[in-house]
Amino acid sequence: MHSFLAEIAAIAVFFLGFYGLITSKNIIKSIVSIGLMEIAVVVFFLSLGFVDGIRPPIGLEMAGNVADPLPQALMLTAIIIGLTVTAINLTMLISLYRECKTTDWEIAKKLRNRIRSK
Amino acid sequence: MIQIFLFFWLVSAFLVTKEQKSVRLIIYLGIFSLISSLCFLLFGAPDVAMAEAVISAFSTIVFIVCFEKYYTLVEEPNHLPIKAGFQKGLRKALPFIAFTVLLAVLFICFLPGGEHNTYLKDQYTARFVQDVGGENAVTAIYLGYRMYDTLFEALMLLVSIVAVVHLSWHKGGSVTDGKPSDIRDSDIAGVTVRIICPILLLFSVYLIMNGHISPGGGFQGGVMIAAFFVCRYMIYDIYDVRIHRVITLEKLVYVGILVISMYVFLLGTSTYLPIPQSVYLTLMNWLVGIKVASGFLIVFYRFIAFERR
Repeated sequence: MHSFLAEIAAIAVFFLGFYGLITSKNIIKSIVSIGLMEIAVVVFFLSLGFVDGIRPPIGLEMAGNVADPLPQALMLTAIIIGLTVTAINLTMLISLYRECKTTDWEIAKKLRNRIRSK
Repeated sequence: MIQIFLFFWLVSAFLVTKEQKSVRLIIYLGIFSLISSLCFLLFGAPDVAMAEAVISAFSTIVFIVCFEKYYTLVEEPNHLPIKAGFQKGLRKALPFIAFTVLLAVLFICFLPGGEHNTYLKDQYTARFVQDVGGENAVTAIYLGYRMYDTLFEALMLLVSIVAVVHLSWHKGGSVTDGKPSDIRDSDIAGVTVRIICPILLLFSVYLIMNGHISPGGGFQGGVMIAAFFVCRYMIYDIYDVRIHRVITLEKLVYVGILVISMYVFLLGTSTYLPIPQSVYLTLMNWLVGIKVASGFLIVFYRFIAFERR
């Protein structure tokens, strides 16, 4: 029988990451929280159809409990895209840091408003 | 078994959310990624587990390089005192707890008896050896049945790299603006990295060559090749990779992926491929590997030498 522990944990971690994303003052923490949400989505997809003693879909013998290869192939690409998302976020952070010398959302917003009002 | 891993997974996610210092944050993120990689292994997904482990190591390095060179860690944003912060944080967290419970309940209610449709899985696992070849069903899917996914993923990687290259352009400054890497001065780290380096390259080549018959493949091997160049930079601290050529190489390899896959899929039928199956799979794994490796190499070198165009 399939238990829903992993799915529920993945949903919880997704919202934990969302909470960290919108309540943190530190921009780096927001970037890390986005990574947290990505991994939670990956765990959710991979845990669908999980039973104890499941085997990886590798080899010529495909009898018994074999994991579903389709979400694995999709999540493989999603993980690679996740790193590029992090890289773009960090690039934008470095650009912001060069302009504003801060990693605080509040100060950065104030500086941006000051630049706009000029 | 899985319950223990999931418990530690949740705990590490909670630690990541509660931590305020950036460096500890990155360390907790590494622990979180390691535990999720072990979870993937238990879910029967060694390919994804390997990719996650390599990617988490690489992203940790990128984060640390970003910290080391571009801002001082002293300037952390100030936070509320812990007690007041906890009260306020709890009030802010309530909607998210409610969302979690709601989604979990909805999820359990709408899956009838926990049985999900396995038609596609049965078809894939029964037929991939004849249709695409190899012994790894995951490779057969991302290089055969769902080739378009891989094509658009590679396109997205290309666009992201272009975005990183162009966003990171900065007037003035030079390559020597950042600090040199400190790892050369540390004997233990230097010697260890020197020992690991050739093994890393050999293992990445093994992963790519055997991607269609064992866990591994172009993605994991590619990131590992990029990690080899990172280690090389850390030992010798030289900037001799011509980044323009790597960018051109990445674009050319993408064109190669497009041409070969379209050639095979337009001329081939379900029973006939214009080139042998194993040759096709190995070639595509190599191309994807070189694409991913050059992409992440560009990311890493852009972070080291932020200003050079």
